[in-house]
Amino acid sequence: MKLLVVEDNERVARFLLKGLKEAGHTADHADNARDGMFHAAGERYDVILMDRMLPGDIDGLGIIAALRQAGNRTPILILSALSDVDERIRGLKSGGDDYLTKPFAFGELLARLDALARRSQGSQTVTSLEVGDLRVDLLSRKAVRGSRSIVLQPREFKLLEYLMRHADQVVTRTMLLENVWDYHFDPQTNVVDVHVSKLRQKIDLDSERPLLRTVRNAGYMLTAHDD
Amino acid sequence: MTTEGAAGARLRTMVRSSAFTLAASYVALGVLALILFAAPLWYGWQVTISEGRAEIMQEDAERLTSVFRRVGAPGLKAFIDARVGLQIADERMLLLTDPAFTPMAGNLPAWPAGLAARAGTYTLPIALGGRQTRAVVVIGDLPGGYHLLVGRDLARFTPLTTGFWYGLAAAIGILIMVGIAGGLMLRRALLSRIHTIGRSALAIIDGDLRRRLPTRTTGDELDALASTINRMLDQIEQLFDGIRNVSDSIAHDLRTPLAELRSRLEELSLTRPSGEETFAEIDAAVVDVDRVIRIFNALLRLAEIDAGLRRSGFVEFDAASVLEEAVEFYLPAAELRGVRLEFRDVGPVPLLGDPLLLAQAVGNLIDNALKYARANGVVQVGIERRADGRTVLAVADDGPGIGDAEKPKAAERFYRGESSRGSPGVGLGLSLVQSVARLHGGRLELLDNHPGLRAQISLEPRPAQTAAKGPVPFAAPVVPPAGLPVSEGTAAASPT
Repeated sequence: MKLLVVEDNERVARFLLKGLKEAGHTADHADNARDGMFHAAGERYDVILMDRMLPGDIDGLGIIAALRQAGNRTPILILSALSDVDERIRGLKSGGDDYLTKPFAFGELLARLDALARRSQGSQTVTSLEVGDLRVDLLSRKAVRGSRSIVLQPREFKLLEYLMRHADQVVTRTMLLENVWDYHFDPQTNVVDVHVSKLRQKIDLDSERPLLRTVRNAGYMLTAHDD
Repeated sequence: MTTEGAAGARLRTMVRSSAFTLAASYVALGVLALILFAAPLWYGWQVTISEGRAEIMQEDAERLTSVFRRVGAPGLKAFIDARVGLQIADERMLLLTDPAFTPMAGNLPAWPAGLAARAGTYTLPIALGGRQTRAVVVIGDLPGGYHLLVGRDLARFTPLTTGFWYGLAAAIGILIMVGIAGGLMLRRALLSRIHTIGRSALAIIDGDLRRRLPTRTTGDELDALASTINRMLDQIEQLFDGIRNVSDSIAHDLRTPLAELRSRLEELSLTRPSGEETFAEIDAAVVDVDRVIRIFNALLRLAEIDAGLRRSGFVEFDAASVLEEAVEFYLPAAELRGVRLEFRDVGPVPLLGDPLLLAQAVGNLIDNALKYARANGVVQVGIERRADGRTVLAVADDGPGIGDAEKPKAAERFYRGESSRGSPGVGLGLSLVQSVARLHGGRLELLDNHPGLRAQISLEPRPAQTAAKGPVPFAAPVVPPAGLPVSEGTAAASPT
């Protein structure tokens, strides 16, 4: 992926650029609003990582608003030290696509970048999803593995749908919490893990090839490929 | 500033003072009342007296005229002479003249200049016994061209009139003086109390948060205000203590993992172990950092809620469905622990608030309940609108419960009950529930579930959410209904 990092803190920027490069992405860097705007307007990026607080009179949200005004639809991930819910809402309202509070785990950032890039590619509406021999019909809300039909609770279906839409990607617990339950808080315990393991019991029987995998220190991935 | 300017400023301050304004308005009202009282009195007095006087004089003139008719001019002359001889003071005037206005009898030396000879009543200045005065005269109608004048000196009434005006002026003067004195005294009394309150407030500003405004037992308006402010100060002190507790807790709960982290990294840098060991240490360090971040986020969220800023984002929503979703969210976790998690559905319960925060609060309660419920036990979640308008969201378990001694401490930040040592959690769960409840104008109640704990968020009915809490200062005393225990004083005063 080609990424733009707009971040004024030199150390954070270096860390981000290094990590993104190691993950196989190429990234440009701007350390102020003017350069950020210049890069974003001049080149095509898959995702822009935007720091919320920037020196000068324009902050990250100002750049996002200006880009959106100019018709630029590049997905933007806002990075911010401001964590409260109202700030998150303001960030998303100004045109950002996702919001990540500092400090964050790098795995969380990569997972969200993948999800954002995927979202902008596959924006056309789909009526069914497929991973290996697991198939989900979004209209009749039915799931089938091979010839075996799977009975799912509504919330389990939503969880599976989210995992399938992000197949072959790492999906973090926070992403699941936000997108499946719409909860933007820390539920203190491993409730998400319990939901996922319940779902796994239904889609991966002992005799079948496991599709839903746990990625250590990051989250989960639904995939039909062997790695 | 010049002395004159300072004096002017002081005068302006005094004039602006509310006590002065109050006194001035009372004085003005008093003067107005006095004038309203005196004016009709004055008018009535004047009319009655002048009419009575005119009547007497006219009767006098008629009697003299009838004497003239009976005995003629010489007879009347003798009559008048006799009358004048009897008269002691000069206040009554009598004059009989011939047709050429030559005085024949009476105590006036001459017919007053400029006075017409036609019958009637006149008021005119006149010289009497060597002094100038005003007089009311009646001209009598005598046959044969003779002229008769009967008059009265008005100077006789002057002291009365003067007395009236002086009295009125004195009354107004006293009123104004009493008003000013009263105003000054009121001002001094008010100012001294306001200064006392001000001094206390300054002491509080300087950091003496325990200080309270002085109140007296009289219970007047100023006292009511002072006790309201005192209640506000109680609240501020409580919040302040909360902040102090948080910083103490941060010092304790963040310093410990940070210290561990530091020593871990330091040791790593000193010993430089093999690659595999290094990575294990780094992973452990990341876990330490994650713990710090979790505590940090929880504290920030608490601070955000306590600041009350989120009240601006309140919406109308169905609390029952929020609860149901939270129950559904925790259901698999409950199954895993072998606990039955039940939600008692009573239909929609509309509420004004923040659904996300309420979900988190209820989630924390459920999470706690699942932790403490007995194996194969039951956790019941319910919501109900009570008859008194309160909305109660309850989560009840059948675990060991919380001892009465521990209950008040349970919601304190970082407090962890005896039985929770060793279980995961940062000790902020119930604090968050309490903050969320407070934000919604309610409170967290920890009750006995016999056995177990019943934690409930009790929300006041909506109008009371904005109204002041606690007793209303000006409310009439509430009479306790029969059958309820009453205080001793009330019981002694009642006839039964």
